[in-house]
Parts: sequence; structure tokens; C-alpha cells
Amino acid sequence: MSASTDSNTRTSTIQSGNTIIFRLPNGDPKGVKIDKGSTVSLGRFGAFHANELINEPFGRSYDIVDKKLILIPPRSLAEVEDTDATNEYINDGEFVQPLTLGEIQTLKQSGAHASEIIKMQIEQHANYSLKTEYSKEKYKKRKEAKYSKTFTTIEPTLFNVCEYWFQKDPARIRDIRIDALSQILNMANIRPGGRYLAVDDASGLIVSGILERMGGKAAALLTWTYFTTESPPAYPVMVTMNFTSETVAPLSSLNWAATDQNYTPVGPPIDIPSEKIKSDRQKSRLDKRKAAIDLLNSTREELFAGEFDALIVASENEPYSILEALIPFVAGSGSIVVQSPYGQILSDLHTKLRALPGYLCPSVTEVWLRRYQILPGRTHPTMNTSGTGGFILHAIKVYNDESANAITSHRRQKPSANTSNTSGKIIIVADEADASMGDADESV
Amino acid sequence: MRIRPIAKFWSAFLKICFEILCIVPISWICGRGHSNFIATSTTITGLQTREIVQSLVVTPGKDFNSKFGHYRHSDLIGMPYGSKVGSRTGKGFIHVLRPTPELWTMALPHRTQILYIADISFIISYLDIRRGSRVIEAGTGSGSFSHSVARSIGPSGHLWSYEFHEARAKKAREEFAQHGMSDIVTLTHQNVCKDGFNLTDAVDSVFLDLPAPWDAVEHAKQALRKDRTTRICCFSPCMEQVLRTVSALNDAGFSDITMYETLVRPHDVAQVPALQSITEVAEKLKKAEGVREIKRLQQIAAGQRSRENPHGEKRKRNEVGGHDELPVAAVEDSGSGKRLKTDDEMDDAQDADVSRSLDEPSAQAACAPPPKISVSKAIPEVRGHTSYLTFAALLPPMPPALPKDTNSQGEQTS
Repeated sequence: MSASTDSNTRTSTIQSGNTIIFRLPNGDPKGVKIDKGSTVSLGRFGAFHANELINEPFGRSYDIVDKKLILIPPRSLAEVEDTDATNEYINDGEFVQPLTLGEIQTLKQSGAHASEIIKMQIEQHANYSLKTEYSKEKYKKRKEAKYSKTFTTIEPTLFNVCEYWFQKDPARIRDIRIDALSQILNMANIRPGGRYLAVDDASGLIVSGILERMGGKAAALLTWTYFTTESPPAYPVMVTMNFTSETVAPLSSLNWAATDQNYTPVGPPIDIPSEKIKSDRQKSRLDKRKAAIDLLNSTREELFAGEFDALIVASENEPYSILEALIPFVAGSGSIVVQSPYGQILSDLHTKLRALPGYLCPSVTEVWLRRYQILPGRTHPTMNTSGTGGFILHAIKVYNDESANAITSHRRQKPSANTSNTSGKIIIVADEADASMGDADESV
Repeated sequence: MRIRPIAKFWSAFLKICFEILCIVPISWICGRGHSNFIATSTTITGLQTREIVQSLVVTPGKDFNSKFGHYRHSDLIGMPYGSKVGSRTGKGFIHVLRPTPELWTMALPHRTQILYIADISFIISYLDIRRGSRVIEAGTGSGSFSHSVARSIGPSGHLWSYEFHEARAKKAREEFAQHGMSDIVTLTHQNVCKDGFNLTDAVDSVFLDLPAPWDAVEHAKQALRKDRTTRICCFSPCMEQVLRTVSALNDAGFSDITMYETLVRPHDVAQVPALQSITEVAEKLKKAEGVREIKRLQQIAAGQRSRENPHGEKRKRNEVGGHDELPVAAVEDSGSGKRLKTDDEMDDAQDADVSRSLDEPSAQAACAPPPKISVSKAIPEVRGHTSYLTFAALLPPMPPALPKDTNSQGEQTS
């Protein structure tokens, strides 16, 4: 493998110890840990030896036959022939399938391939020939989802992992859809070698995205957890990313108490005379505590040194309090990106930030995404789709200068200019200005 | 202290009106020379409104003049990024920002229709572009996507960018050089539909923003590496283009063909007075009615009293009480305070109660406006369509051995 030229955030083939997402025949994703020598079970779709997958590239499809995997070529799109068939003579509730459930069961047990069962069903189907070609395709697809044992390994790209979690349990990742995550990472200017602050209550999705884009380049990513942990928090999403240890290296975490500069961590007495240490066990315990305190202190020093490139927040806590606590450590011109599944929370935050000179251009946006079914002659937006991917607030940290003044002439012409030639954005800013504030301004 | 809210307000306004962002040529994409201060010989970009950004190079000795004030480049040197800088005339100010691909997208000179953040960020995620990725883009256009890709892949990755329009290619090459991206981006002036990419088994992903992407699909396949899953994205505004592209991708052996549309919905946030419930409205109406009724009765009573006792004391004190035949509204306005003291016990209590409850909300409204709430709605006119994003994957070729052989190998290892 040309691994040296690869991005090294994760391996490019399936390795023992990986958590692999499988796309099951019915389209559902399933995450399974692959360990050398073990058996992988995909529920009713069957089981196979894990070793067969090790060193395989991602993205391939396999059939399970007798606990063995048969590699099958990727599917291509088949043109559907247009015929004169309509559903004119097909009525609901007619008896069309003489093949009984019991007979199908027997077929399955005898080891018949899914395609054989489906073929038999089609042959015995009373009205199959009446169906349109499109309808026949749908029928076959539905039956395949039922009897097929073909699964696909999904490469743990950020896109695929986010989609997996969004499908599995959107609440756990704060409804962050992949388009939202993508925008957050771009708005925060995540790049190799950057230093970032992240508050992630989205099961580590945000942290995973940042680590992936940092690419294991020595830099820093500080995150916040409720409790202090001695090692970086075990985020469930990060497990499915299968990061190398180098990729995770920049990650360290703090709790909110330790974020306060006046806080002194409660640690072991620093100087215990060695004669007072009675046992090796006590010594190792003290050493361990000391190591934890040292780590905490070095993380705090890193934070207090400040000049972080961006602050990314996807938190259950009140967002303004988080910004207040962390904004001093963000570098000038650094991005502040706050995600919420609720527009209202970001509207309130926006109102607060707009009144402050340290936040440039706060904006609230909602993400919008539409996926299409791509089949020859049958291209249309998917019938079922996710309704929302969440809201994002973005602002830039700036330093205020009280002595810098606005341009008077510009200020005067503002109301009329707004109505004629400026964008919606500016009109809002002018409207937002309280009349009282405007009056006060005149008196200065 | 009095000045603070004013300064706040004006900065809030001018923030939107005018900003400057600075670009340090060697450092801005890759983070090399990661200084938080502006150095000599840097590139700057200025923003006229939130949507219009302009760019210039910080050159000592040069001036920057605009209707938002006059600035000397040399004054900016040594300032931290994010600084607010007052004009030399004392009127107007700018913000000096560290350049990012996102700001550059707002600032860049448009030579073509450009890609914006929703599409750019989504494509980068889908194509799995990250540190060290090797990427092809065609055409270069105005370079909006190129900057984002260069930022994400960093110095260990590489972007091959192709532009068939000679003048645009030249311009883009100049910009890449100025932004310190020359060693990350290779720009070729070439028509890829005709001449391909001159690369074989070399890249992880291909992005095609071409009028006829289907003509470049086979070339893209050649350029993509075959030892792992690679991906392609075709960016086309029309459905007809999508259908032709899909069929070309399918014929070339690409799989997992899918298509997306993505947009950003900007929201307007406004502060409005807390909404009044109709119960409150109804209560107010009822009270107003009650007061009018009391006053009507009082007027009648006063009229009766004055008729019964034309020269009595009460009439004197109760001057307002209908003698002058004022309209009810006028009575309400001027009356309550005075009458409260003079009316007899029962009336007094009742009237006071009514008047107070009537007066209080209006008094509140006069000195403290009702509480405001933040509300938001999608702005009325937005970009409704950019392009369709057609994606596909190219899997490593099937092993030449028969599937049965693969199986027995698997058994041996286990």
C-alpha cells in the first residue's frame, strides 16, 4: 500500500480492532467491531469470519454464503425499458402469490440464493407480467432487501460516520447533519496545524471532525467535559472514526471549574517526605494523582496562553456563558461558531452578541439539504428526508477601539440608503438601532 | 460611561459596513509563520459591506483611501489581527482580519460564477478531502473552491487545478502565488475534456465544475488511484447535465452514484416587544368599559345631586362632574386624580381601584417599554439554487482471482 502518501488519520484498509459500519441488505447501517479470529454477526443476514475482511479495502460488497464471503462487483445502474404496461388491471387484495411462507422458509434453509427465491416468487406471481417495468424493479428491490445477504463495508470518512450517527440517533449528535458539520468546520477554518477550542456535547462528532481536519499535525484541541478525566474523553463517535493514536494526540480536556483562572486544583501534597510513604502502592497512587494534576495544569496553561484559532460550541449549556468564559483565549480575528438544533437559542445569543463590540458580524444560518434518487428515468428528490440539520451562529472575534469613530455623513444618509440600495442585512442593523440610542448619539 | 452604548451601536453598524482583512502571503492557508501580528509586505482585503470585500497588499508607504476613511498601510503593521483601526481623519474605521478561504470567497474578484460555503464545505466532506489529500479540480474559475481545498489538504497534500481560459488561468496563478499556495497548487492551462489531466493513478478525488463534465469522466477515471476507493463530484446547475453525467459515470464503472442540493438559509434576527395575549387585551377592554360605566353613573349622580341641591358643597368640589358637559373621554383624562379625594367612601374605593389598574400599565408603558423578545425568520429573498452535486465512487478493481480463491485465502489466515 502507498500508506506513506495517504492521509494518516486512519488506515486505508480494514484492520483488526476497527469498528466498521456495514450497510445491510435492507439499507440500514450497523457498526461492528472487527477483531482478528472472531466471528462477525449481522443478525438475520448471517455471520462470517472477521479475518476475511482484514486488509480488504473499504467500500466493497460481499455475499454471505456458508459463513464465507464472496466478493461481488459494484452495482451499476440499469436502464429500465419503457413498455405499454400500466397498473390498469392490478387490484389490491388479489391473491397473487401461491408460494407460501413455509415454502420460502424451506427454500432459505436449503441454502437457496436470494436471487433463486426471488426468481421463483416472480415466476409464480399471478400479476407480475402486468406490472410496469418500474414496478417490477421496485418489487425485486423489495424482495432483495428481504432475502439478500449482500452487505457493503462503509469507509469511515467523516461524511459516512456523520450520516451513520444521524440515521442511528440524531439526538445524540445534537441533530448535526453532515452539511451542518461541514459548514461548521469550514467556518471555523479548521486546518492542519491549527489550535482550537471545542465544546462538544454531540458525542464527539465535532471533535472528530476537527481532529480529522487537523490530520494529526501537532497542535492543540481543547475540549470541555463535565468531569475532569485523566485521559481525553471517550467519545462514541470517535470510535467509529478509527483514528490512529497520532490523530488523537492533540486532544485534551478540561472541566468548567478548571477553566477559571483563580481555581486551584485539589491535588496531593506536593512534598511528602519519602520516609512517610509506607508502601509501593501508596507511592504509585500518589504518582498517578500527581501525573493527573500535572496534566491538568499543563492543559490549563495551554488554555491560558490563549491565541486559539477558533472556538466551536455544540453544547447543552447556555451558549453565551460559554463564550464569555472562553472568548479571552481566542485570537483576534478568530472564528466563533455555535451550533444548536434550536433557532431560538441562537436568536437570543445573536441579540446579545450584536450589542457587543468584540463580536464582528454575528450571523444565524440554517442548513438545507436535499438528496435525490438517481435512477435512469426515475430521478427525483427522495420521498423521505431529514427535516432539519440545525442552526449555526458565526461571528469573528475583534478588538474594540473606543476612540475610532463612525463616519457622520454616512450615518446621516443611512435611513434613506437602506430603503433604496442596500442589502437586507443592513436594513436590519439600522432597524435594530433603538431610537433612543440614535438620539443619544446626536448629543455627543 | 455614557458613550459606551453609542460606540457599541455604531460599531455594530459599521462592522457591517466596512471591514478589512489582511493576508500574509506565505502563511495564510497553511498556517506557516503563524504570527498573530501583521507583518510588512502582506496582502489585505477590505470589505465594503458584509457581502462586498476587497483586497489589497500591505505595503509600507502606500495609502488606503475609501469613503470609509484614510489609512496608511504602515500604520497597520504590528497590529494584532482583529484590530479595529480608526481612520486618520478621525471619521470611519475598519477591522483588520486574518484571511481565511471563507473571507476570500467574499473578497475575491469574480471572473466566473463562484462556489459558496454550503457547496464547498459539503463537497470537501463528501470527497473526504483532508490533510495530505491529492485532489484535481477543473476548472479553476475564480479560485473560491481552490483556496478551501488548499487550506484543508495543507502542505502535505496537492491540488492539480485546470483552467481552459488563458487569462483566468494567469490571474488565478498570480493569486495562488500571492497567497503562498504555489507549492500546494499546480495550475495548468488546459482543456481537460479534450486533453485530460496528464495524471495516472495519482489522486484521491476529482471535482469537475465544467459545462460538459461527461466528457472528462474517462480522463478522471484514469487520474484516480485504483488501490482504494476514490470519489468524484460533478457540479452542474441543470438537471439535463446531471442525467448525462450520471450515465457517463455509470458507463465508466463508477458506483454509488448519488446527487444532492445544499443551501444556506440566512436568518434575520429581530427584537420585538413581547407579544400581548388576547386575554390581556380583553381585560383592558373590560376595565375601560367598567371605568366608562362608573363615570357615566357618576355623571348621572352628580347631575341629580346638582339638580336636588343646586348650591351645595359637593357640587363645588365635584366641578368636573358633568356640569360642563365634557365628553366622557375628556373626563377620564383629567378627572380621576381629583375625584378620588372628593368622592364618598364607596365610590372612592371602587373608582380608585379601577383607575389604578387602568393607570398602571400605561404608566409602565411610558417609562419602561414592554420586554422584548428575540425572534428570527428566514430572510425573504435567498439563493434558491446553486448547482446539483453529483457524486460517485470508484472502487478498487475486483481481484483477478476467482472469488473461491479469495475464500480459501481467508481460511488459511484464520
